Amino acid sequence: MLLHLLNRSPAGSRLPEDVLRAMGPDDRLLLIESGVYGAVSPQADCFKTLKGRCYALQDDLSARGLAERHADWIIPVDMAGFVALTAETQRTVSWY
Amino acid sequence: MSDDTADRPLLVILRHAPHDGSWLREGLDVALVAAAFGRTVTLLFMGDGVEALRPGQTAGPLGQKGTHPTLDMLAMYDIEDLRVDAISLAERGLSTAELQWSATPVTAEQLPAVIASAAPVFNF
Amino acid sequence: MASEQGKLRYALVVLGAPYSQAATHSALRFGEALITQGHRLDTVFFYHDGVYNTSRLAAPPQDEPHLVDAWVRLANEQGTELLVCVAAALRRGLLDEREAQRYGKPAFSVEPPFVLAGIGQLVEAGITHDRMVTFAP
Repeated sequence: MLLHLLNRSPAGSRLPEDVLRAMGPDDRLLLIESGVYGAVSPQADCFKTLKGRCYALQDDLSARGLAERHADWIIPVDMAGFVALTAETQRTVSWY
Repeated sequence: MSDDTADRPLLVILRHAPHDGSWLREGLDVALVAAAFGRTVTLLFMGDGVEALRPGQTAGPLGQKGTHPTLDMLAMYDIEDLRVDAISLAERGLSTAELQWSATPVTAEQLPAVIASAAPVFNF
Repeated sequence: MASEQGKLRYALVVLGAPYSQAATHSALRFGEALITQGHRLDTVFFYHDGVYNTSRLAAPPQDEPHLVDAWVRLANEQGTELLVCVAAALRRGLLDEREAQRYGKPAFSVEPPFVLAGIGQLVEAGITHDRMVTFAP
């Protein structure tokens, strides 16, 4: 099981499609930096197939005014949660 | 060491086009060094990275080297496992037949396993 | 294998320039968090524009975090190895004293605890550490 990191907003890039195609059925996705714009509807819809394994970094949401705005099925994690995700998965792949 | 890293191929994913900054060159450098160190290396061209395989590339107007000479050297380094994401190719109107360097197409169904079976994975 | 149960050895790869991209901030915060949780941050490898993190000449405004100093603190407090890809660094004007002399440059911009290193050490970091996490622009 892998953890994928995505730091780009879904708008204006095909990257989310590439990441989704690269992900195995149990892999997890963590949205960080500008990637957290993808945690807000309607942009979050592109990650809907990942329900239960799609995370967004809390600090990065807050800094961008999105603390209360993310889709309810996206799981916010703090930095400790980020570290735990990297520890629980075998490897981390960063997409940018 | 993470699980059985030693038995797995090292994977370098290349997602940037030639002449688009130094990403492609720096990614290929990691592959060449890993191969020189005796690691089995897989290259996966994905996204704009598939443009690296297009024929007819030249040096840049300021004398930037480009990456096509490096691709010619891969076999010398025993890097023979070149894969290309089939959807990225199709999105750019390319087919495997016209690529200058032969690469095995990877379907959407096969892609996760190519990535999950490698270690370490570098994504450029 | 990890030295203690559940405690992992991490390598971070930093590909983004400080003050231009978020990669440095994310990497520093992640590094701090993993240490807080009892893991070890053994190695940071700076590659691509990440090598700009290592300039001793960086002079940010006083009301902004000093990112270069933050790396140095990490090395001093945790013994973290700070490796700078020599090929990426020389191209971008990041030279230690020895390289500056070799190329006849009037000044050097990289000093310990940052150490110029080959790409082989990046490959090795990916193989020998329990986890490798890349922070990119």
